[in-house]
Amino acid sequence: MLPSLMYTEWLKLKKSNVFPLVWISPLLAAVTGYFTMFDSGANQWFDPYFQMLLIHAVLFLPMMAGIFSASVCRYEHQNGGWKQLLALPVKRSSVYLSKFFIVMLFIAITQLLFFIGLLCVGMLQGFTDPFPWGMMLTRVFMGWIACLPLVTLQLWASTAWASFAAPVALNVILTLPNILVSNSEKFGPWYPWSQPFLGMLLGEEGDFFYSTQTLVFVIIGGFIIFSIGGLLYFKQKAV
Amino acid sequence: MEQQLVVKTTDLTKRFHGVHAVDNVNLQIPKGAIYGFLGPNGAGKTTAIKLILGLIYESSGSVTIFGKDLKREKLSILRKVGSLVESPSYYGHLSAKENLEITRRILDVPKSRIDEVLSIVRLEKEASRPVKGFSLGMKQRLGIASALIGNPDLLILDEPTNGLDPSGIIEIRELIKQLPEQYGMTVLVSSHLLAEIDQMATQVGIITKGKLIFQDSIDVLRKKAVSKILIKTNKAEKAWRFLLSAGWKGTLSDNNIVFPGMSDKKVADVVKSLIHQQFEIYRVEEEKMSLENIFLEMTKGEQTL
Ligand SMILES: Nc1ncnc2c1ncn2[C@@H]1O[C@H](COP(=O)(O)OP(=O)(O)O)[C@@H](O)[C@H]1O
Ligand SMILES: [Mg+2]
Repeated sequence: MLPSLMYTEWLKLKKSNVFPLVWISPLLAAVTGYFTMFDSGANQWFDPYFQMLLIHAVLFLPMMAGIFSASVCRYEHQNGGWKQLLALPVKRSSVYLSKFFIVMLFIAITQLLFFIGLLCVGMLQGFTDPFPWGMMLTRVFMGWIACLPLVTLQLWASTAWASFAAPVALNVILTLPNILVSNSEKFGPWYPWSQPFLGMLLGEEGDFFYSTQTLVFVIIGGFIIFSIGGLLYFKQKAV
Repeated sequence: MEQQLVVKTTDLTKRFHGVHAVDNVNLQIPKGAIYGFLGPNGAGKTTAIKLILGLIYESSGSVTIFGKDLKREKLSILRKVGSLVESPSYYGHLSAKENLEITRRILDVPKSRIDEVLSIVRLEKEASRPVKGFSLGMKQRLGIASALIGNPDLLILDEPTNGLDPSGIIEIRELIKQLPEQYGMTVLVSSHLLAEIDQMATQVGIITKGKLIFQDSIDVLRKKAVSKILIKTNKAEKAWRFLLSAGWKGTLSDNNIVFPGMSDKKVADVVKSLIHQQFEIYRVEEEKMSLENIFLEMTKGEQTL
């Protein structure tokens, strides 16, 4: 049932203007990465990477998590889609999961494009330092994992709120103070909108005063709480 | 002889903030029936239908479909139920074909079903353009196509002709009428218009203010429509009191003594005793009540539109 549902989610989104959004953040980040002004003296690849994070992980990635989550619910809210979908022989938990997986897939594609963007920047700049594969792949992956609490929280809001704009707007507002919150040793790891950034900073705790352990713990905890809450809500939702 | 029931609800109740939208409703829909679910706007039809489909959860009571408990066997029941609830549901940015493909994929029926149902509702020519440009009637037909695609045993249509022009109404009515014969389906169709139900239903359930106040075959409802006997005499009130004392329970209205449907013999007896008491009889009339009148009477005080 789940593969069929994911396929139908894809059918609904493929003809919408959501999918092209996966390009925006990696593209803008790559452009700023190309014009990186500082030189930390470490491996060349890290300079544009940190530059790119300021656009991608601080700003766009959390916003995309909200937009993708709202998008998978948008067409159901619009013209009685929930009624039609949930009167079919589908488990509500499967419907919820299919939407969740699609959002995570879109974010994975975004992360992949970001990674490719970084490679392009370095090649265009003619970097001679060896590319730190392990480190970079881990960080990009951690950025994806760190979206889990935010995505499940936004999915919860988007199923409950019969509106596309409202959860997206709220998400943007909560994304804006991101860099400030990220700097807070105390609150940073606990703030779902900061987690993608902190996740992609992995290994640089020294500069941002948080412990990786706390971050991972909070991400897993938040993910469990928000997914159970969202799922229980969705299972009893009156359609 | 107990007929096989496709839908059976037992004391089905749904409260919204303490208000009973559906109040102890016991629907019984026999196999092969076209069950007309009739009631004024706000009577609770959509709420009852959503309960039957498991879209909302009951406050109390239960739903049995195909003899199975909805709570316990929801998925296997819904596999054989097609539905269209309230205004038609659709994905506006997709074409009719793509909309149907979504339902088809979930129900896992052959691709050929898409063209089959499109031709049943005569939408083949419009199948490839975005549904948001469709007229209401076309959206409604697409909704029916979607409900039919899984070859359901039970088809539930909530006010399928609402907002359609007369030709669209006739078209959908003719389509619904042929379903039980042609495909062996049982149909539950709701409406706030008696005339519409009268033209296609074999069974009727009338709901008002959440309560099911009538449920039987359409013939029984029609029989109710038979007659009232009106007797006009010179001294209406005196004659009425006399008849009461003699055991004939009529009512007095507009100087007429009114009896609900009476046999010829009884009418003769009443007239005879009135004459015997020296009353003058001006008129004995039979007033046939239309179905519409019955419906209005039953659902008195509700807005029917
Ligand atoms: N979600 C809801 N919350 C509160 N009241 C509702 C809700 N849905 C329906 N109602 C109320 O329940 C009653 C029955 O509504 P409905 O089932 O839509 O009637 P019908 O379909 O017969 O027109 C109405 O009074 C309506 O206002
Ligand atoms: Mg209704």
